[in-house]
Amino acid sequence: MPDIAFVKPSLPRSGALVLPLPEAEGDAPPALTGLAAEADRAAEGAIGRALEAAKFRGRKGQSVTVWAPGGGPSKVLAIGLGKEPGAEAAEAAGGAMAPALASERNALVAADGLAPALGASIALGALLRSWRFDRYRTREKEEDKPKLERIEIAVADAAAAKAAFAPMRAVADGVFLARELVSEPPNVLTPAELAERLKGLERLGLEVEVVGPKEMKRLGFGAFLGVASGSALEPRMVVMTWRGAAKGKRGQGQAALQKPLAFIGKGVTFDTGGISIKPAGGMEDMKWDMAGAGAVAGLMAALAGRRAKVDAVGLVGLVENMPSGTAMRPGDVVKTHSGQTVEVINTDAEGRLVLADVMSYCQERFAPRLMVDLATLTGAIIVSLGHEHAGLFSNDEELAQRLMAAGKAVGEACWRMPLGEAYDKGLRSEIADMRNVGGGRAGGSIVAAQFIQRFVRDTAWAHLDIAGTAWSSKDTATAAKGATGWGVRLLDRLVAEHYEA
Amino acid sequence: MPKVAFRRAPPDGPHPVAVPVAEGTPPPSRFAAAAQAARFTGRAGQALLLHAPLPALLVGAGAGASPADWMRAGGTAAAHLPKGESEGAAHLVLDARGRSAAEAAAMAAGALLRDWRFTRHRTRDVQPGLAQVTLLADDPAAARAAWEREAAAVQGCLLARDLVSEPANHLSTRHFAARLEALAAHGIAVDIWGRRRLERAGLGGLLAVGRAAEGPPRLAILRWRGTFDAPPVVLVGKGVVFDTGGISIKGAKGMHAMRADMAGAAACAGAMLALALRRSPAPVTAVLPLAENATGADAYRPGDVLTLFGGRTVEILDTDAEGRLILADALGFAAATYRPRAMIDLATLTGAIVTALGHHRAGLFGNDAALMAAAAAAGEGVAEPLWPMPIGERHREDLRSDIADIRQCAPAGRGIPDACHAAAFLSAFAGDVPWAHLDIAGVEERRAADALGPKGASGFGVRLLDALIAARFEEPDHHADAPRPSA
Repeated sequence: MPDIAFVKPSLPRSGALVLPLPEAEGDAPPALTGLAAEADRAAEGAIGRALEAAKFRGRKGQSVTVWAPGGGPSKVLAIGLGKEPGAEAAEAAGGAMAPALASERNALVAADGLAPALGASIALGALLRSWRFDRYRTREKEEDKPKLERIEIAVADAAAAKAAFAPMRAVADGVFLARELVSEPPNVLTPAELAERLKGLERLGLEVEVVGPKEMKRLGFGAFLGVASGSALEPRMVVMTWRGAAKGKRGQGQAALQKPLAFIGKGVTFDTGGISIKPAGGMEDMKWDMAGAGAVAGLMAALAGRRAKVDAVGLVGLVENMPSGTAMRPGDVVKTHSGQTVEVINTDAEGRLVLADVMSYCQERFAPRLMVDLATLTGAIIVSLGHEHAGLFSNDEELAQRLMAAGKAVGEACWRMPLGEAYDKGLRSEIADMRNVGGGRAGGSIVAAQFIQRFVRDTAWAHLDIAGTAWSSKDTATAAKGATGWGVRLLDRLVAEHYEA
Repeated sequence: MPKVAFRRAPPDGPHPVAVPVAEGTPPPSRFAAAAQAARFTGRAGQALLLHAPLPALLVGAGAGASPADWMRAGGTAAAHLPKGESEGAAHLVLDARGRSAAEAAAMAAGALLRDWRFTRHRTRDVQPGLAQVTLLADDPAAARAAWEREAAAVQGCLLARDLVSEPANHLSTRHFAARLEALAAHGIAVDIWGRRRLERAGLGGLLAVGRAAEGPPRLAILRWRGTFDAPPVVLVGKGVVFDTGGISIKGAKGMHAMRADMAGAAACAGAMLALALRRSPAPVTAVLPLAENATGADAYRPGDVLTLFGGRTVEILDTDAEGRLILADALGFAAATYRPRAMIDLATLTGAIVTALGHHRAGLFGNDAALMAAAAAAGEGVAEPLWPMPIGERHREDLRSDIADIRQCAPAGRGIPDACHAAAFLSAFAGDVPWAHLDIAGVEERRAADALGPKGASGFGVRLLDALIAARFEEPDHHADAPRPSA
């Protein structure tokens, strides 16, 4: 991961020079000003000529590399920002430059013509796109490893850019935590190990409580423990608390939480499907069936990292779903924390069982102001929407609109999906309060959301089905293919926009 | 259809009078004790047959807030009218006194929709439907006037159900075309195109899909002139009279249901009938591609490249994704030929939409936010609900072909958002005409009887289209100057 520094504009003597350039009016290359103009002069006009020859117009997504133009830099990379660039364009430019600079050690970004906040967004994009997971590579060739050690962003007001970047850095670290947890293999990242790593977040000032199976039994988590019963690994529930709201004069220590925001994550560290076992093809993907928990952990780290002025709790249910002699069977009836009983028709619809207990417990203990759950819940959401949108279900119009807007702003888009009585009927059981699946594939994501809604009391609630967005098979603007950390930035934005004192 | 009459007082005779009661309002006092004893609350779908003090059928009207609630109450009454030897069996008396004319008409519509049955292929023990529905109304003339408007949409819906119910050996492309030609009796101009005209116009998708079947492909063009001079609203409906899947053949399980793969075309035909029966002022044209997707020595293949209307080339990956090919031809042809005010297509297009939305809502895609919002509102009003779905950049990227302009779908695999892909494919052919696409797979048949129909063909879309045209297109184009919002 490269270091990021904000510096005063001055020409580098070596390394790469990056020119993020807004689109020009008419059919001409963007004018070179400030540091870019200085570099062009030092190169005796070679940069300007190269951009002209390459028909570079500064359009979004356009880029041109000029090798050793003279005057110091080993290469100059011009990246288009499009017209009237905002944060999203700046992030995308930063993201685009990261792979292009992988073979350099140092890079200087000439952002002196842009607002300091856009300079910070370029740095954020570069950072997000630079993240990679190489813990298990032992024989990688030296030339294949990214070399980039330091990115300097030259801006007119370095102090302002630095101040703008500080909270972004905290959020990026939250995204990286989520991506790392999602990338870790299931033999390493067991429920206990994941809980242990979350315990480590105490260093950021979070309170972290880890709950084991004995306590869960006492609490009446019959559904959660049913899922856990097939695995040799013990389940965990982790409760992370961030007390950031201004507490007036009482200020110090353990002031009571005032109706915190609550975030719930599904954390199935590996999902075989249990007795209703999945087919072998693609089962390895099921290591990321804890991406909801990963996102909640990343969010809590981000809130603590940037000292967000809000009270928030993050609860994750960590468990492995395995078939075995002790595993829950199709046909079993389990009793949830809420007292409602569930006839388990399909043991592969386990995520909703975990969420049911954790969400019910959360509401009883914290009486939250709102509750958002994230879960890689259904394959049906991928068939419904693909990979560009997560499915958004909500009982609260205002919360739903805020999530849609926040998602749009940070490039983690949600698509609203319906709820309704007609879908809920599919959950009727002959012998219990409900079944855990409907009659067939039809409306599978909606029926799952209806199930979860049965465990929502009088709380403003939203459910994000992230099965299609937690992992990407293609590079995106700000993430290499693999774990995306989807949800951390969306929820951080939601909190920052609407719920901070 | 049963005869529908309106009067102030109940007719003489032993007929039980059906009395709809909204939840939270007390039933008429003479039934109050019985209702309470039987725990009748007026919940939607509830029905209580009483023999004393006089024969009556209490039916729940739910919230009683919208005409749709009263429509369901009418349907519930029709469903619970005692069957058997009693003389009342074929005569439903509905008490709409105290209700508005629109609510009375809605009750009658509900009764007829619920009572419809498809008996053409039964030769024994045919259960006759209602012979007469009598509405008791405070102002019978006003109620009758409201009914006449409503009746058009009901008749259109029932035509669509009749067509969808017909098995493919009784509804070949030729039969279907003949049934559509019969609509000329209502003042609709009908033009049926055969192979030669399709070839000349370049509808290569329709020709390929229909190539292997004995029944030839057809394009049916139905025109309702309306009363003002304007470009028409165009309705496009998928009319695959039977879908084997072609070379990419379907599994045997459930294949019989593929006789209903022409439900989109049937809905458009039903809507045209409704518009004609109520003399709609709006000019509307239906463009209905009809084909049978069969297997055969001359069948089109996965891998083939077809040239569709307008010269666009399409790489075929799956011959069972045939609906989008014939719709693309029809949309492209209609956009170029009529420069329509708007195009709305209906199709039983994808299994993916059933996975997404189940059997309670149809998928709504399009390129025009205002048109989509109007379609969704029309659907809510007539209990044919839609839900907006996305066409994203990634969905378009997934359709890039290595050897042609576009491919028809993504390669088979896990988790393919095929409904979005199909809509992205169609959007390329709709061009810049305001367009909405309704993927009605999953709602074309009722899986179980409900208040507005028995198990089987639903006629989904007819009443929605009729309401949409009434709400938005019955005046000369008042939207022409408004900027078009993008979806």
